[in-house]
Amino acid sequence: MRISTIAWANLRRRKSRAALLVAGVAIGIATAVALLTLSRSISEEIGLQLDQFGANIVVVPKSDQLALDYGGVAVAAAAFDVGELTDEDARRIREIPYANRLAVVAPKLLGAVDAGGRKVVVAGVDFESEYALKRWWRVVGEKPEGAGELLVGHDAAQALGLIEPAAEDASRPLAPTSTNTVDASQHATMSAEEHAAMSRAAPQHFRITRDRLTLSGREFRVAGVLAPTGGREDALVFAGLAEVQSLLNRPGRLSLVEVSALCKDCPVEDIVGQIAQKLPGAKVSALQQAVRARAEAVGRLTQFGAAVSAVVLLIAALLIFTTTTGAVVERTKEIGVMRAVGFRRAHIVKEMMLEVLAVSALGGALGWAAGAAASWALMPYFSQTGRGFEVDPALAGLALFAALAVGALSSLYPTLRASRLDPSEAVRHV
Amino acid sequence: MSFIVVENVGKIYGASAGGAPARVLAGVSFNIREGEFVALMGPSGSGKTTLLTVVGAMNHPTEGRVAVDGIDVYALSEERRADFRREYLGFVFQQHHLMPYLSAVENVMLPLATVRTPSREKRERAMAALGKVGLGSLAARLPNQLSGGEQGRLAIARAVVNAPPLLLADEPTGALDTRTGEEVMSVLLDLNARGQTVLLVTHNPDNAARAGRVLHMRDGALAGETAGVPRRPAAAGEVLMTTSS
Repeated sequence: MRISTIAWANLRRRKSRAALLVAGVAIGIATAVALLTLSRSISEEIGLQLDQFGANIVVVPKSDQLALDYGGVAVAAAAFDVGELTDEDARRIREIPYANRLAVVAPKLLGAVDAGGRKVVVAGVDFESEYALKRWWRVVGEKPEGAGELLVGHDAAQALGLIEPAAEDASRPLAPTSTNTVDASQHATMSAEEHAAMSRAAPQHFRITRDRLTLSGREFRVAGVLAPTGGREDALVFAGLAEVQSLLNRPGRLSLVEVSALCKDCPVEDIVGQIAQKLPGAKVSALQQAVRARAEAVGRLTQFGAAVSAVVLLIAALLIFTTTTGAVVERTKEIGVMRAVGFRRAHIVKEMMLEVLAVSALGGALGWAAGAAASWALMPYFSQTGRGFEVDPALAGLALFAALAVGALSSLYPTLRASRLDPSEAVRHV
Repeated sequence: MSFIVVENVGKIYGASAGGAPARVLAGVSFNIREGEFVALMGPSGSGKTTLLTVVGAMNHPTEGRVAVDGIDVYALSEERRADFRREYLGFVFQQHHLMPYLSAVENVMLPLATVRTPSREKRERAMAALGKVGLGSLAARLPNQLSGGEQGRLAIARAVVNAPPLLLADEPTGALDTRTGEEVMSVLLDLNARGQTVLLVTHNPDNAARAGRVLHMRDGALAGETAGVPRRPAAAGEVLMTTSS
C-alpha cells in the first residue's frame, strides 16, 4: 500500500471521469501535434522552395566606386581594377564551414561591350549554375551550352534587333499576358520539374530572327532569348564566363558571386559571416527581402499552429481544472480522513497529482499518436510534394511533456487547496 | 503521570474570519492516564466532538494547551502535527469514513501508506489488525460489502493498525443499531483491556457507563466527572474479540 495505490484505485473507481480527462488531454495534444507537424513540414517545404528561388547572398568586391547595378545590387565598376573578385574567390566560398548549405554558387563578370555600334552589358556566367539559380527563366530557343553561344535578355534582344513578334501571333503584345506571367510567389511554390515543364510550354510571343551577334569584334551564336522577366537580366547579354573574361580582357576576374544558401536550419547571417571571413576583400550581403519573406511565411504558419494549439490546450487545461476542483469537493471527507490518519499536505498533493499526471501521460501518449496519424493523413492535402511526415521521437517527448505540464499546472491550485483543507472540518463535510 | 494533559482549552469559531465569533469550548481542563478508557458525554452542541478534534491534533485551540505523552501538540508545525497524528493517534469516526474504492485490508493500511515500510510488512500488520477485530476473513471485501457492524470494526482496525498510544472515537456506535453498536463497543473495550488508551465521545449513557471514567460536558465546558466501571487488564494471550464476523 502506497500513495500511488490510492491514486490508482480512485482512478479505477471514476473510470468515466478519467476517460473524459484522457480524451480532453488527448484532443489538445493531438491538435497541437498535428498542427505542429503540418506547419513544420509546410514550412520546410516553403523554405526549400524559397531556397531554390534564387540567390539570397551576393558577394561583391569592396569598393567606394560603384557604377554598375545588377539585380538591385550595386557592383564595382568594371573600369576599376580595385576590389575585383577572382575565380579563386568563388572556389573559396565552397570552403566555408556551412559549405553543405550552399545550393548554388554562381560567379559573374559584368562589363560593357560594343555590339554592332551599341553598348550592351555582357554578363559572363556559368550557365549551369545560372539555370539552377534562376529557375523562373524561360528561354525561347535553346539554352546555351557550349562556347560561342549567347543567351540574350528580352529587352537587349529587342534593342539589338534579334527578335520580332511571332508571325502567327503578331497582333499580340510582345510580352506575355498576365495569364502567362509567373510571379515570384508562384515561382516560390513551384518545383524544379514544374519550372522546366513551364519553360517548355512557354508561349513564344516572339521569334528569333537573327542568331548571330558580334561582341567587340567576336561573333557569337544567339542560342536563346529570355522571355521577359521584369528584372535587370532583360537588358543583359549572357555568355560563358571564360569567354567574357577573355572578351573584357580580365582573365580570372569576377564582378560578383551570387550564392543560394539552404538556410532552413541556419541563419543566413552565419553564412554571410563565414563568407566574409573567407573573403576579407569582399562585401557580402544577404538579400534580406527573400529571407524575410520566407521567414514571414514560415513564421505565420508557425504562429497559426501555435495559436490554435494554445487555445485547444487551454480548453484541456480548463477541463482538468474544473474536474479536479470538482473532485476536491467530492473527496473532501476522504481528504480529511487521510489528513486525520497522518497524511501530510505534501502527501495529499502527491496523491492527487499522481492521478492527474497518470491521466495526462496517457492522454499525451494517445494524443501524440492521434496527432501523428492525423498529420500523416492530412499531409497530402497541405503539401504539394507530400514530403515531411516522419515519426519524430523529440516531438513525442515534447507532446508527453506538454501533456504533463498542462495537467500539473491546471490541477495545481485545486490540489493545493485540497491539501490545505482543515482535517477537522473536512471529516465533518456533508 | 498523565498521558494526556488538557489545560484550560478554549475554542472560538469565526474569531479570525471576521464573522460573529462562536465560543464552543471554554476553560476545559482534564488529564487522562495511560491505559484509561474515558468517555466524553454531553448533549448535542456541547463541544464534545470539537474537544476530541482538539485533543486529536486536528483543531488548533484558540487558547489553552494540549500535551500528549509530554508533547505540546500545537507547538508542532502543521506537517509535524500530521506525523504526530500518524504515530500517536488512531481515529474512529461516527460515519466510519472508509474509502469505498479500497478493500478492507487496503482501508486498514491507509495510515501506513506514507510510512517507509515494505508492502508485505504493511499487509501483515493490516491483517493482524483485521484479526483483532474479527475481520480477517473479509480482508478482500469492499466496505459496501460489509455490514454496519463490520464497517465499524473495520474503522477500528484502521485506527489501531499503527499501534497508536491513544485511540479517539467519535460516537462510533451513533449510526448503528443496538446489536452492531455492541460489536463496536466490545472491540473498544477489549482493546482497552489490552492497555489501549481510549477517549470515547458518546451520547449513549450505557456505553459511557462502561468506561472507566466519564467526563460530562455542557455548553463547551466540563460540567463534572463520574466514575465508570473499573477495567481489568487482559491476561497475556487472552482472546479479546469474541464477536463473530
